Amino acid sequence: MSVVWTHVALAGLWGGLVALERKAFLQAMLSRPLVAATVMGALLDDVASGLAIGMLLELFFLGTANLGAALPENDTLAATGASAAAATLSAATGASSTPAIWSLAVLLFIGLGRVGRRGDRLLEGYTARLARVALASAEAGNLTRAMRQNLWGMWPHFAVYGALTALCALLGFFIEPLLQALPPVVVRGLAWAWPAMASVAAAIAAQGSHARRAPLYAGLGAAVVTVSVVCVLLLEDR
Amino acid sequence: MSTTPQAALSFGVLLRVFLRSLFLQASWNPKGMQNLGLAYAVYPALMALYPRGPAREEAVRRHLVFFNTHPYVAAAIVGGVINHEERIARGEETPDKVVAFKAALMGPLAALGDGFFWLSLKPATGAVSAALVPLLGVWAVPLFLVLYNLVHLLLRVRLYWLGLTLGDRLVEAVARANLPARGARLRAVAAASAGGVAAWLAVSFGANAGGLYAPLLAAGCLALGVASYVLVSRRVPNYVVLYVAAGLACVAGAFL
Repeated sequence: MSVVWTHVALAGLWGGLVALERKAFLQAMLSRPLVAATVMGALLDDVASGLAIGMLLELFFLGTANLGAALPENDTLAATGASAAAATLSAATGASSTPAIWSLAVLLFIGLGRVGRRGDRLLEGYTARLARVALASAEAGNLTRAMRQNLWGMWPHFAVYGALTALCALLGFFIEPLLQALPPVVVRGLAWAWPAMASVAAAIAAQGSHARRAPLYAGLGAAVVTVSVVCVLLLEDR
Repeated sequence: MSTTPQAALSFGVLLRVFLRSLFLQASWNPKGMQNLGLAYAVYPALMALYPRGPAREEAVRRHLVFFNTHPYVAAAIVGGVINHEERIARGEETPDKVVAFKAALMGPLAALGDGFFWLSLKPATGAVSAALVPLLGVWAVPLFLVLYNLVHLLLRVRLYWLGLTLGDRLVEAVARANLPARGARLRAVAAASAGGVAAWLAVSFGANAGGLYAPLLAAGCLALGVASYVLVSRRVPNYVVLYVAAGLACVAGAFL
């Protein structure tokens, strides 16, 4: 096993940038799992892993929202961490990525959503201190210093979540021997876990859509797609 | 840096205020929430409107009090604050008007923004794009960004303009947009897309596995989705449901 340090650095950089975008600047949804994970995959030469993990986590975290002072789980950290680990894990195997790798990465790293929420709460202590400095500076007539405090609040997000994502990318290289040591039946089981988890994530998304008659709409969507796919498959068989 | 107050704000200053409003949450803090962000956003306008000294300091301090709303819809309040500050600088109204304007609007606009953007537009565009991944592959990602940001950025600019030009009267204009009704339709789209992608995953899994088990596997995967929906509705944690499903699938994959 050899660690590709450029991958670790790129993972950290992208993880930090989307953490900034999620909380502090613009919020144009670059930090959503579907985008953050796919771009992470592209940066680490494994778009397939990024897209697959991004789709699953987008659905899993679809209903989360930052309402008022309540902090949701950090879906961005879960997405960048899991996709970075999956990409480096498949790079370490020397083969293309597989559903078993995606499942393993999601099972190991999806909990980062909760770690990130805890991190967000801790970082609020720092911004509270910045607010006190800004108020004191404004009282003293130093308005430029007071205004500058706003921008200082961004950088801890970049540094903390960038470092955590880089760590996940690094861990991907070290998990590879574990994957190789698994018996083939377990690897096959992990491959089957992928569509199962994605189905569950889609069901969670339907529940998290906040629609008034979500079961009805989800059922209609499922029926239309099932009939369409079955028809296509039957036509292909002819 | 000008120390002479201006009669009317230039386009450059208004643009700077808008761009700085994109950093509204940079120092979100539990006590004042978006107070630093709001003061930071409107500061170029205050510099242009008030001479250096007590008047400007007083203007900055009245925007360092508690402020919290939805970060996109805040553009309307930022525009409204500029509208009020121009009138205060001209001596047409007292400073308490701008404080009352913010206090009156931040709650209702937060509810409106949360309901439309966070609970409707984001889930709808996210679910539609995730559902299109099997068809479009990686192109589902730019599609998601375009769909979401067309609405997000256009509304953000429009709300800022409404605040700037209408001041207190922006409430009627925002009400005419009828965002709650549009949000309800978007939530239905999100639910239907999520159901569709669950079905696609189940059927394609069965088809890929092939053999005699194919219909059984597809039906099992669909049943897992339905059971997950019921469990999550009954407040079983999402993580528990996901790990149990993965465990069941692992066992099935290992032994079937």
